Amino acid sequence: MSLLEISQLTLDLPGGKRLLHGIDLTVEPGRTVGLVGESGSGKSLTARTALGLFPEKAKLGGSVKVDGTEVLGLSGSALRALRLSDVAMVFQDPRAGINPVRTLGDHLTEALRLGEGVSGEAARKRAMELMEAVRLPRPEKHFHQYPHELSGGQLQRIMIAGALMGNPRLLVCDEPTTALDVTTQAEIVRLLATLRDERGMGMLFITHDLGLAGALCDDVVVLAGGRVQERGDMAAVLAHPTAEYTQRLVAATPSLHLDDAVPSVVSGASLPDGAGSASAGGRHEAAPAASQAGAPEAGRGTLAGDGVVEPLLRVEGVRRTYAVRGKDPVTAVADASFVIPRGSALGVVGESGSGKSTLARMVVGLETPDAGTITVAGKDRTGTPRGREARLAHARSVQMVFQDPYLSLDPRIPVIRAVRDAAALHADGRDAAAVAKELLDRVGLTAEQQQALPRTLSGGQRQRVAMARALAVQPELLVMDEATSALDVSVQAQVLQLVTELRAERGLTVLFISHDLGVVRRVCDETLVLRRGEIVEAGPTAALLDHPAHEYTRLLLDSVPRPDAGWRLAG
Amino acid sequence: MTAPVISNVPEPSSDEPTPHRPAPRVRWKTPRWMRGTVLVWIAAVVLVVAVLCAVLAPWLAPYDPDRIDLMNQYASPSAAHWLGTDSLGRDMLSRMMHGARTALLGPLLVVIGSSILGMLLGLLAAWRGGWVDAVLARLFDLLFAFPALLLAILAVALFGKGLVAPVIAMAIAYAPIVARLTRQLVLAEKQRAYVSAYRVQGFGGGWIALNRVLPNVTPVVGAQSTLNFGYVLAELAGLSFLGLGVQAPQSDWGSMINEAQVGLLSGHYLPAIIPAVAVVLVVVAVNILGEEFAERIGGNKA
Repeated sequence: MSLLEISQLTLDLPGGKRLLHGIDLTVEPGRTVGLVGESGSGKSLTARTALGLFPEKAKLGGSVKVDGTEVLGLSGSALRALRLSDVAMVFQDPRAGINPVRTLGDHLTEALRLGEGVSGEAARKRAMELMEAVRLPRPEKHFHQYPHELSGGQLQRIMIAGALMGNPRLLVCDEPTTALDVTTQAEIVRLLATLRDERGMGMLFITHDLGLAGALCDDVVVLAGGRVQERGDMAAVLAHPTAEYTQRLVAATPSLHLDDAVPSVVSGASLPDGAGSASAGGRHEAAPAASQAGAPEAGRGTLAGDGVVEPLLRVEGVRRTYAVRGKDPVTAVADASFVIPRGSALGVVGESGSGKSTLARMVVGLETPDAGTITVAGKDRTGTPRGREARLAHARSVQMVFQDPYLSLDPRIPVIRAVRDAAALHADGRDAAAVAKELLDRVGLTAEQQQALPRTLSGGQRQRVAMARALAVQPELLVMDEATSALDVSVQAQVLQLVTELRAERGLTVLFISHDLGVVRRVCDETLVLRRGEIVEAGPTAALLDHPAHEYTRLLLDSVPRPDAGWRLAG
Repeated sequence: MTAPVISNVPEPSSDEPTPHRPAPRVRWKTPRWMRGTVLVWIAAVVLVVAVLCAVLAPWLAPYDPDRIDLMNQYASPSAAHWLGTDSLGRDMLSRMMHGARTALLGPLLVVIGSSILGMLLGLLAAWRGGWVDAVLARLFDLLFAFPALLLAILAVALFGKGLVAPVIAMAIAYAPIVARLTRQLVLAEKQRAYVSAYRVQGFGGGWIALNRVLPNVTPVVGAQSTLNFGYVLAELAGLSFLGLGVQAPQSDWGSMINEAQVGLLSGHYLPAIIPAVAVVLVVVAVNILGEEFAERIGGNKA
């Protein structure tokens, strides 16, 4: 008997809107089924029905059987029993799912103590066992700690331990690693695979990332618009997607193509250390951190040697420290030095806390570095500009596209006005209205969408508006700070395509900040890797990704979820 | 994702809960089942009627509100006097209509004054931060510690009776409520990326604050100011009741209740009850509408 058997599941909202159109899905014991889809595809809705979680007043049809028991229409107490012992769930954001004022031990033992009347001591012992099982270093200590004392990855381990307390036979994971860094994601996914094998659980793994599904899952069900687009063996679907939607999704997922043979532009690319890449990359300087990684004076030498063509962006010895009340100051960026040649694109890769956003904010003049200089096209652009002239000049040097398109547009201003205002401020005799219209046409917004308020547009459309707005200033350098990470993969692919086209058309120089190596590979000529504020490696993107010199770069690369990552095997 | 460690700290320190003055705490929280369109419509009708009475009083009122008719004291409601007459035989309906003018105009001026003052100060505090914020926050605390009514009485003592002094005093007393709210909203708004985006585009800080951030917080502040209207109305009526506000012979709801006190002892309740009911009706109506606004705006924002 299947562990989970969903057949012909439909879900209608009270308003009559149908969100799920007859979904079929089975999970066998010991196997992992990936439920893949973009936002709004109904993947979370589908998976949650296994626990009897669905929107209030929604009308459900079809059947959802857990271990042969029909879940739909189950009474409250029967549902509780089911959640206590048969099915458990791990949610996306561990911090949002845990009570911040209670200890982790409380959180873990609560269900056992209250639900099954297990004694405090027995529940505590079980919690200790499970904290060991999820590889938390100090269970005894964690038991009395509060959620804020743990990192996101550790907290997600606690949540997994909590889900395992009732010895569930089916584990539903709803994007359990989306809020985490790539390296942490890799650890958590490996852990889940191990736990599944040790316990013979069935797992339903919801994700938007086809690469991640490929790294973990045995079978896959691809959802779009509340319908199953494709199902089958994970590897087979990835290799030969039959449905048109899956084909598009596979093509749009950047991390899947990390190993594509990108023709190397650089002759010295195969040299293992930074020296080859630095000299071959021309004016690329990555000191002093890169020199620790093996890039010697060669990098500096080339820079000093050519000196003829001034690079568009030159960042020299930039440092930024934040004072923390009652603690040692935190160094967000330490002595960063690099250059971007005119017309080139530089990727900055790093995990959260690596200082990459601080770097971006300093380049665009939202923050002042503690030390060092930033020059754009030979003009000093260090620090926040003072006075109208300085502001306008700085704006024409650098523009920025922000991470979250839902926050970076003024909610009250129609998009065409937002772009027109920016163009009017930097008019230079141009007709601002015409410029705005032309730019919005160029990024692919219809006339109707141009008049709309931001809230009526989708994330991808908003990010296009943000790009048009940045281009309206006619900047020499465009900084994109995680500009595509809030978008669905297919939308992300479109936006990246747009960036590539605009670069070709306008000779735009781009500083591209991202945590996603796959995305960087698509866009950037050169890449530098940041860790805790220090540049650990830099070089032409292809060379850097093919032959990472620094161990951290290798770790990042190994953490990119891929079908061949070997995470499925326990270990 | 990689927000800098410090700039992410959402609220600077001066946001600790501060002693609220008693007046705003007396809120008519409408029960859930009563919320919704019917009640809102009734409230709107009550307010429209009150405003129409006030605006059109000279033309609608059947009698001169100050005309004394000693032959006709404490007349019961009749065709000639719909709401009866008071201790001096003056027509209650006419007095109520004319009284509505001062009763509504005072709070309106206070709300306008306190909104403008409060929004500007709140914006300044949040936008500039640092010592400006610290000084203004202490100033707000100081004003919070002072009951509005007391401040109004003080103003009357200093500048004489009448409507002007208490209105100015109340506008100043209510400004911190608006300022505090504005400050919090602006601080939240300031964190949003669109403000950074305007900066990167080269717009000046003052321009962004006045032309972009202020309009975005105005709806919420406006809803709060609507609620303030009710409190101010009640407090100004109280001031008139104490004989410190509008002076005889001019009619005002608060002073009407005061004048009717004598009648209460001899069993003539109507002249006191009518203005009192009017005050309660208008205050409740304003509260219902204010809550409705606040709820709708809240819904839109989410």
